Amino acid sequence: MIVVLGLSHHTAPVALRERFAFGEARLPVALQTLREMKLAEEAVILSTCNRVELYVATTQEPPNALAELRRFLATCHDYHEPLADEMYALTEPRSIEHLFRVACGLDSMVLGETEILGQLKKAYEFALQAGHTGPSLNKAFQRAFNVAKHVRTETNIQRGSVSVGSVAVELAEKIFSALTDRQVMVIGAGETSEKTARALLSRGARSIIVSNRSYERAAALASELGGTAIHFEEWSKTFADVDIVISSTSAPHYVLDRAKLEPLMRARRNRPLLLIDIAVPRDIDPQVNFLDNVYLYNIDDLQAIADDYLKQRKEEITRCEAIIREKAAQLSSPRPPPMSAGTAQPAFE
Amino acid sequence: MFWSDRTSFLIAVLFYALSSVYTIFLFRRGFRQDTHVSYWLLLGAFIFHTIAIFKRGFTYNRCPIHTLYEATLFAEWMMLAIYLAVGLWSRLRFLGAFASPFFFAISVFALMPQLDQRTAITAREGWLSFHVALFALAYGAFGLSCVAGLMYLTQERDLKFHKFRAVLSLMPPLQRLELVAGRLLLGGLVLWTSALVISAVLARQLGNVKYLSDPKILWSFLVWGLYLALVIMRWRFAQGGRRFAAGAVGTFVFVLLTYWGASLLSPIHAP
Repeated sequence: MIVVLGLSHHTAPVALRERFAFGEARLPVALQTLREMKLAEEAVILSTCNRVELYVATTQEPPNALAELRRFLATCHDYHEPLADEMYALTEPRSIEHLFRVACGLDSMVLGETEILGQLKKAYEFALQAGHTGPSLNKAFQRAFNVAKHVRTETNIQRGSVSVGSVAVELAEKIFSALTDRQVMVIGAGETSEKTARALLSRGARSIIVSNRSYERAAALASELGGTAIHFEEWSKTFADVDIVISSTSAPHYVLDRAKLEPLMRARRNRPLLLIDIAVPRDIDPQVNFLDNVYLYNIDDLQAIADDYLKQRKEEITRCEAIIREKAAQLSSPRPPPMSAGTAQPAFE
Repeated sequence: MFWSDRTSFLIAVLFYALSSVYTIFLFRRGFRQDTHVSYWLLLGAFIFHTIAIFKRGFTYNRCPIHTLYEATLFAEWMMLAIYLAVGLWSRLRFLGAFASPFFFAISVFALMPQLDQRTAITAREGWLSFHVALFALAYGAFGLSCVAGLMYLTQERDLKFHKFRAVLSLMPPLQRLELVAGRLLLGGLVLWTSALVISAVLARQLGNVKYLSDPKILWSFLVWGLYLALVIMRWRFAQGGRRFAAGAVGTFVFVLLTYWGASLLSPIHAP
């Protein structure tokens, strides 16, 4: 019987999740203790910023096993305060379905994200290498990875970008043949513009020019991104070579308007220009979007696209759940579980 | 005969119609679907179109380019052949979805019975075939350039108006579409220029032809001037992007709308 005990961003705030998190250094000892105390025949511990979960194969009756595991977690992290619904305990078949849902990114904060699959694989590899897994968990985890692959190819759950930065990259790829030769300019060194610039760089953008009212901040960000910093007053001078502009200054007025952009576009020989305005109040006059070969997106436009993608992903959940239920049913033990199967219950009462 | 060249062509037209219907489906789906279906339907059309051309050629024992029907079929066949070659590159296969309605419209027009009447002129078959083949290839290049331009305008409009389908669609990026449209247009212009030179040679062979007062020849020079202007505007005055795409589409629409009229007015090209 495979059981799961854990807490995630759905049930517990970050303050609680961080209390129960296992650092990489503590994992070997924790796994070893679980085995030595006969709490688990096999065990995998998944600890990420959004969840801490124990996947355990046990021969004990599930209620006893889960109670022991609860005590283990509390003792391990020296946590003695009462908990209500923050911790969940699952038995088969829900535990298997939960594992599959996690692998597919259905339980993630960003629906359908793939990072969790890598983290799950890493956690499993860690336990496997240390000899803490056996036939039950090996089979369940291998199947989970296959289900994740199947869901990814058969549904649109991972299609599209759900963050502002990656939407900007997608838009750039719809305009430019390749991002490899594109010059990016960041005007105003904010956090979102930095993330967006990083996303563009990761897709091969040639280089980044950073311009900020504080030259020191511009230089620091340029150094981080491997680009060059220029003084704020000079950004328009280098505009002729730029293909993508990310603007996020705190200026109360437009930094770039139609009158300023028209001559710059002529200097650029009307090459396409993607303007990403993530500043509030806006940095770029919406009128520039009426110029030929200029494509302007503000933060609302980007967020709307990300929301549409998310909506599309949500529409896929039913299909994913059906696949998961079918695959979990194939894997689950035919033996009826002693406790009320398929119900999640608070671990601490 | 029961199975004539026209029967084969009618089956090809059926394939064009099916492909056009599929284009409507793709449009309603926001161009999110792959275009393998369009490619295969157009390949089916090409097979029957080829049979029609060869059957016609073998029936009359000559290159089938002597009537407006034959010339239209030949030009369309060339256009389709260019697309099928270009479409082997998956990134440009989408051209087929946009080209299908064009192929269908041209085919329906070609089926008009008045267009299948022979011209009275005689010239050396070799030069005539070369002349028509060059024009046919040029029409093909211009047609596909128009299709690429149409795709550009669709994609550009979606991006300008922040439509979700702009990121969802499987269409190539704007820069690539402009590059393809530009190269096809330039290739078409070179072919057209060569065909005009051959026309002069043919006119000399015919002797009594008033070369520069024939409506079709004047029309050909007008079309040549329009495309040359587009090329110059793009490379010399940086008028690329939407204006260039609109120019490629507009000029080819002009060609489509005036081709048959100019041909019928011409004593050399019409019976």
